[in-house]
Order: sequence, then C-alpha cells, then structure tokens
Amino acid sequence: MRANGQERAADTGASIAGRGIKKVFGTGPSAHHALGPIDLDVKPGEFVSLIGPSGCGKSTTMLLVAGLEKTTEGKIEIDGVPLSAPLSEVGIVFQDHLLLEFRTAIRNVMLQQEIRRLDRQELRERADALFEKLGLTGAENRYPWQLSGGMRQRVSIARALVHQPSMLLMDEPFGALDAITRTQIRHDLEMLWLETRKTVLFITHSIEEAVGLSDRVLVMSDGPGKIVDEIHIDLPRPRPAHLGDYPDFAQYAQRVYTTFEKLGIYKFK
Amino acid sequence: MTGMLKRVYEPALWFAGLLIVWEVLVRAFDVQSFILPAPSVFLVRIFHDFDRLLLQGAITTKLILYGFVAGTIPGVVLGYLIASFRICERLLYPLVVFIQGLPKITLAPLLLVWFGFSDFPKILLTSLITFFPILVDSVAGFKSMDRRHYYLSRSMGASGWQTFWRFQLPSAAPNIFSGLKITIVIAVTVVIVVEWLNSNNGLGHVVLRAMDSHDTPLIFAVLVVASTIGVFLNYGIVVLENVLLPWRRGVEDNA
Ligand SMILES: Nc1ncnc2c1ncn2[C@@H]1O[C@H](COP(=O)(O)OP(=O)(O)OP(=O)(O)O)[C@@H](O)[C@H]1O
Ligand SMILES: [Mg+2]
Repeated sequence: MRANGQERAADTGASIAGRGIKKVFGTGPSAHHALGPIDLDVKPGEFVSLIGPSGCGKSTTMLLVAGLEKTTEGKIEIDGVPLSAPLSEVGIVFQDHLLLEFRTAIRNVMLQQEIRRLDRQELRERADALFEKLGLTGAENRYPWQLSGGMRQRVSIARALVHQPSMLLMDEPFGALDAITRTQIRHDLEMLWLETRKTVLFITHSIEEAVGLSDRVLVMSDGPGKIVDEIHIDLPRPRPAHLGDYPDFAQYAQRVYTTFEKLGIYKFK
Repeated sequence: MTGMLKRVYEPALWFAGLLIVWEVLVRAFDVQSFILPAPSVFLVRIFHDFDRLLLQGAITTKLILYGFVAGTIPGVVLGYLIASFRICERLLYPLVVFIQGLPKITLAPLLLVWFGFSDFPKILLTSLITFFPILVDSVAGFKSMDRRHYYLSRSMGASGWQTFWRFQLPSAAPNIFSGLKITIVIAVTVVIVVEWLNSNNGLGHVVLRAMDSHDTPLIFAVLVVASTIGVFLNYGIVVLENVLLPWRRGVEDNA
C-alpha cells in the first residue's frame, strides 16, 4: 500500500517534484540556513545524482525528500502527493552502512520485513536473490564486524531494496570504499537499477561516480546550496569500468570542474 | 577453547602461588592465627563450617540479587527516559546528580530506624546504590544510538515499541551490561555492610560475630565465601551477556 493510495505501474519508480525547497535548522540567533531554495524534479525511474561541495546541503535534501526533516519553505510532492510524513516506500543507504551491529547480515535485511510486517517467506526469497546479485551469498549469517567495508555496504543496499520501494535514496554510499571496490559496486548497482528502474537520488562527491551512474547530474553550489547546473548524461548502459573509454565522459567531467571553478569552490592557481 | 582454559588456569596458578608464599611466610615467622591465619587454616575452616557458611551465604546472596534487580530495572527504565525525552532529562537529571553525590551508605541507619529489623531496608539500600551506576550506563547506552538509525526506523514506519526493541535496547545493551558487571560486585559489599548494622543472619552477621570472638580464621573464611559469591554473580552476568548478546562474542577481539 502506498501512503497516497494512488496506483502506479508496478515496475516504475516514484516521481519527485520539489518547489522552492528551503531548510533552516534551528531558530533565532542559532538558526542555520542549510539549503536552497531549490527546485528539484525527478521523473519516475530516473537516476539523478546530486554533486556539490561539503556542507552545501546534499544530505539535507535527501532527508527532506524522505520526509524525515520538514522543509522550512517550499513543498515536495512524491507522485503528485504533498509529503506530510516520513515516506515509507523508500530505501535509504547512508555513507557508513549503518547496519545494526547486533544483527547478522540477513537479519539486517529482514528488519524491513519485521518492521513493515511483510510476508516472511517472500521477503526471504527476495533477500536471497539480492544477496546473490550482490555477491553476498555465504555471508548471510555473519555479523557486520565480520564483513569487509564493501560487503557491509552491499548488505546496506540489499536492505534498502528488499521491500521493493519505489525510490532509492543514497547518501554518498560508496564514499568510504576503496577505488577498486567502488568501481565494482557502482556497476552492480547499475545492473540492479536497470532491472528494476527505481527512482534514484544519488548523492556523491565523485564526479566519476555521478557521471558513471546517472541520467542527470545536478551540480550544487556552496552552502546554503542552490542547483547551479544540470547535466544530462547521454552514455549507453551498462557503462564500463573505465569511463575514459567514452570521449564524452571527459567533457561531462570538465563541465563539473568548470562550474566548481566558476563558483570559487576550486581555487587552483 | 585453549584460550578459555588459559584464562582460567593462568590466574588460578598465580593465586595458588600466592597462597603458598603466604602459608610459608606465616609458618616461618610463626604469626599467630588471630592476627593472620595461614591459608590452610581458614580454608580448612570453610570445610569445617561449610553448612553454616552455605546457609548464611545463601541468605546474603538472596538479598544481593533482590537489591540488584530492584536497582537495575528502574535504572534502565529511567536511563531510557532521560536519554529519550528532553523533558525527562531536564526534570530528572539535576535530582539524579544530587542524589548521586550523596554518600548513600550513610542512609543505612536512617533506613533501619524507619523500617526496622527486616530485609526491606537492606534490599532498599542495595537497590539505591546499584541504581545509579546502572542509570548512568543506560543513559550513555541509549544515547549512543546513531541519529540516522532513528531516520531509518522512521522511514520503515517503525512504531515506538518496535524502535525500542529492535533499535534502542540492543544498541544500549553493551553499556548496560558493562554497568551490571561492575555493579553486582558493589552490591555484594553493600549487603554485607548493611548486615553488620542490622542482622541476625547473613555473612555480615557471621563476620561481626567472628570479630567479637577474635575468630580471625572465620573472618577470612567469610571473605573467601563472599568473594566467591561476587565472582560467580559476575560470571553469571557474563554468561547472560553471551546468551542475550551473541554478537558481542568476538566484537572486542576484532573491533
Ligand atoms: N540537524 C542539523 N542541525 C543544524 N545544522 C545542520 C543539521 N544538519 C545539517 N546541518 C548543517 O546544514 C548544512 C548542510 O548540511 P548537509 O549535511 O546537508 O551537507 P552535505 O552537503 O551533505 O555535506 P557533506 O558533503 O559534507 O555530507 C551544514 O552546514 C550542516 O552543518
Ligand atoms: Mg552529507
């Protein structure tokens, strides 16, 4: 059941429509203007990355879209319905896996089933399938501290997908991983996404990751962040490990660098 | 397994060595038994008075456990409230800090005046004293949960109850258990001290009687029994922790 009760084709993602979203944390003298105002539109099934300097409000944007923090100004509609409570049909992945250390890998994923009271059998089958696709088979009964950083993040992705949400929100999910793992996991995520076409809002610091994964990259300015550029990435999928194979890649990357330079985020002499 | 054996027999070896040195010194210098008895003397004494020590030890252990449980449960509950609700923190914390500053053992005479010769004042005092360390550890435990875990639980639509059982309590459990392990040993001391003041039974009472009759070997015998109780209760909590928090096994070695 979706919160708004509307029907959407089962295999597409949700749409996001944000108008004039602004976030100020706190009130009075301690008030901190963290974000915006920004407009944010994501089509169903689209893969959109947010890239921008540290502190510009990327994580804040994600929390607002998830309905976990309230907008100070502006409004956000998910599938045309204004957000008023935490979005339930969503999967979230944070930078540091945030697995529960007291649950094994599989039980971390099955937490979704327990809390949402979904069918145990069905969810377990889906979890197993996700484990296989993510190369986690055999790791089911290990605790997070018994897994490598890459595996933990894969478990965290499985947890975000097992209940088949219409939207995936990822906040620098691969930020803590080494370059080799990051490239592989990026590809694995892309394959999963191609299969299911969830709407993805992907936050990253990495230009390569943004270009390597997205349909569209939104570039944000220094905090309080605004969206200063939008780049449509027209590269065939699935994209290769080495993105330099595409001449276009250099152009896309160049465009982000130039934007950052113009904004004074990079101060190279 | 070998690691576990090692953990047991290495300290045991040390301990045995210490007792032997003690024994030899006492004999060599011919120290009188009422000043410092040789280990052989008070160990034999334990066997000699075994039934009595067992009975009195059981009485003391019962009080320890009652007081401990009566202190632990409100400690954890209040710890949860203080960590979770701003208003509880504002209202309760100053009071907690004040009471924590109070040397609670000095309340013993007062409690005895109020409640007389019964188990109640002993249990009450033990629970008062165990309550505070558990409270402090519980607050720390419940506060240790990453804020983003709250975000996760809310996005899953978890109820307050689900959040408590599936996120908060297990997150706080390691802190709570480290509090329990320390506090149980404190509880042993408290009960024995209160038994000095007011009792016609229990290990504290036995010690007092032994003192009156200059029966130093018996004092040592009680000491051995009391520390054995402490060690076993502490071990019981370790076992409980291993059963309830199976993920902890190895976390420390591997973290
Ligand atoms: N709960 C909060 N209370 C007060 N200020 C906050 C809160 N959360 C974030 N901020 C502030 O809002 C600004 C934006 O934070 P946010 O976490 O969204 O940045 P970010 O773009 O995700 O940065 P990074 O790339 O470093 O993760 C920062 O200045 C931050 O200090
Ligand atoms: Mg962030």
